[in-house]
Amino acid sequence: MTLQAGRNYREEASKGLDNDCLQKSLKKLQNNFGKGAMEYWASMTDSGLRDRAKNTRMETLANLDVVLSTLAENVEKAGGHVYFAKTAEDAVNYCLRVAAKNDVETVVKSKSMTSAEIGLDAALKGSDIEVLETDLGEYIIQLAEDQASHTIAPCIHLNRSQIGRLFEEKLAVALHRRYPPNLPDCQKSTLRHKMLDADMGITGCNIACAETGRISLVSNEGNIRMVTTMPRVHVALMGLERVAATMEDHQGLLQLLTQGAALQKLSTYVSFAGGKRLAGDPDGPEEFHLVVIDNGRSKILGDNAFREVLACIRCGACLNICPVYGRIGGHAYLSPYSGPVGAVVSPLLFGINQYADLCKGESLCGACLDICPVKIDLPRMLLELRYKLAYGDRKWQTRKHDRGEALVFKLWRISIAAGPLYRLALRCGYWMQRPLFGRKSLLSILPGPAKRWCADRDMPSLAGEPFSRRWKKRHGKGRTQHGVKDG
Amino acid sequence: MDEKDLFLADIRKSLGYSAQDARTTQECASLFASADDAAVLERIQYRTHVEKQALLKILQENAEKINLDVQPVKSLADAATRIVEIVEKAEPEFGHTKQLIQHDDTVLAKLQLWKRFSGKAVQVHTAYAVDSQVREKSIASYVGLTAPRWAVAESATIVELGEPGRPRSTSLVPSVHIALIHLKDVLAELSEVYAMLRQQPPEHSCLFISGPSKTAEIEAHMVHGAHGPRQVHLVVVDEQLKEAEGLRGSGLFSS
Ligand code: SF4
Repeated sequence: MTLQAGRNYREEASKGLDNDCLQKSLKKLQNNFGKGAMEYWASMTDSGLRDRAKNTRMETLANLDVVLSTLAENVEKAGGHVYFAKTAEDAVNYCLRVAAKNDVETVVKSKSMTSAEIGLDAALKGSDIEVLETDLGEYIIQLAEDQASHTIAPCIHLNRSQIGRLFEEKLAVALHRRYPPNLPDCQKSTLRHKMLDADMGITGCNIACAETGRISLVSNEGNIRMVTTMPRVHVALMGLERVAATMEDHQGLLQLLTQGAALQKLSTYVSFAGGKRLAGDPDGPEEFHLVVIDNGRSKILGDNAFREVLACIRCGACLNICPVYGRIGGHAYLSPYSGPVGAVVSPLLFGINQYADLCKGESLCGACLDICPVKIDLPRMLLELRYKLAYGDRKWQTRKHDRGEALVFKLWRISIAAGPLYRLALRCGYWMQRPLFGRKSLLSILPGPAKRWCADRDMPSLAGEPFSRRWKKRHGKGRTQHGVKDG
Repeated sequence: MDEKDLFLADIRKSLGYSAQDARTTQECASLFASADDAAVLERIQYRTHVEKQALLKILQENAEKINLDVQPVKSLADAATRIVEIVEKAEPEFGHTKQLIQHDDTVLAKLQLWKRFSGKAVQVHTAYAVDSQVREKSIASYVGLTAPRWAVAESATIVELGEPGRPRSTSLVPSVHIALIHLKDVLAELSEVYAMLRQQPPEHSCLFISGPSKTAEIEAHMVHGAHGPRQVHLVVVDEQLKEAEGLRGSGLFSS
């Protein structure tokens, strides 16, 4: 499956690099939230919380069958319905059935990456249902028919005048000034009655709690509260991994989530939703449906090399520090899941071959591991994916990604293992490159198949004097066993 | 086998268990072990008045950072006065009439706001469970008045438990949210709320509110009142203080 057909990593990345507004926003975001989160982790009083949270996440995953059936039992006890969807299609069809049964004409949604993953909006629209995003960023993306570029700030690639123009065109309003505070007001007044009158609300799920049968949703705008309070029907979509066993686990994860996402002790709103409106309840949905989605996740769960990625709580912190995401932005990741976590999870969910560029694009600097509130080792999994691409893997159906490249590396390995041969090749290379490099130490064009390599980066020249010789010269004969001169 | 059984069987297979045999919570008892809350509950129960005042101070400091307005008062009468001031200062955001909706709560009823507002063109509604027009009244109101269960000093959070007479929308749909709480219900940190919730799991809804609704979606500009209230005021009543000597002028009170 290709989620965003017709787009590719290279093109989207260079578009991102050329977008000044995006570059400015990314810098700001990384300076504030990325650095801020690192400082917070370093200074937090309960320094063991992250390790404990990681352990419970892994233990929960290892017992996910029990945790999910407990969750389902408790949701049903509170009068809610639970549907287990094996595939994206199953999930979409279920939502359509619920909508049809309840004569739904208007759906209000709050940001849910899972809904983008399963392609729900298109299906609802195909059934003549009006679908409105309510999160301001997502609403803007929807109006612009664009893609989100950050987990929690979907429209950071657009500036106030672009958004102002969009509102004027699509909402037929005359904005007094395209000043940031006017824009949320404009959305609020346009959407308010729709939110109050909609038939069905669709949300994601930040963390469900099996013990209580409640899902929790965090937001700052209050749109999620609207979506879960005012419509008659509430449908919540969750990936099968987004669950904690107990309230205690839930608390730790909730605090790590809001700190990691936006340096907040708590987000403005944390709402717990679950069953249906009880007798005498003044508001809340008459029907509640929880859709638990597999769509490739149980395969990840079954692979010890990748299970860890399901511990992710989608805080987006790794986006706020990643040097690659920080330059190219979110569109290049070609999926609702962007940044380092997207580079691991998208290939696993949608096909490693099709999404090969994502894991190859990351720098392996390790920053995402340092910032992750639940210490997910994304760099290790990026390497694992590259390994599968280099050598092929039957289970994940990867084929050797680039045979030419593999051949070059094979020759290199053979030559480096045979010392004199390698040195001879370097020497030849040094002389052969001279007409190309002249006196320059970096080259931006290479001939033949090497041309592509230079499309995005410069090639450093081979040194006239190889490292081994320089080492010998400096340290002479006094080398010890460890390769360091005594004294 | 229905879709749930097949789904869970797949998970069991992935985890290396037999696909057929369902497992139970006993098989992962440590994961579901309940937290020992005795110490936390005792701490809450035996907290002294002075300690609670210290919590109020922390609450005020943290509230300031998130634009939550905290107003300590000495009596319910003072609380009513303060609420009237807030209501009179606020302007309706949608429409022109001035209406207020309050939770059906004994303490809020004691404020007798309808008396305070008589002749002032502010209409006071109460969200009685039997009233079928609560929804319309909430939408028409520009101020929502609630009596939350707890407040949390550490994160400046208001904890609302919904039930008949206490709609969730009262703290959401109006542009101004005023919450009234007694000092005894101010807790130190979130773990205390979780411990209390474990003691008495809420049957209906539960909600944490930390400050007014906000968005920083456009060029990282902070704007309050995105979809929820643009102002949130927390009035904290400390009746013991009237009698307590020497505590006046401690700086806690703004009047
Ligand atoms: S991988 Fe870690 S840092 Fe990245 S979104 Fe997931 S939990 Fe957050």
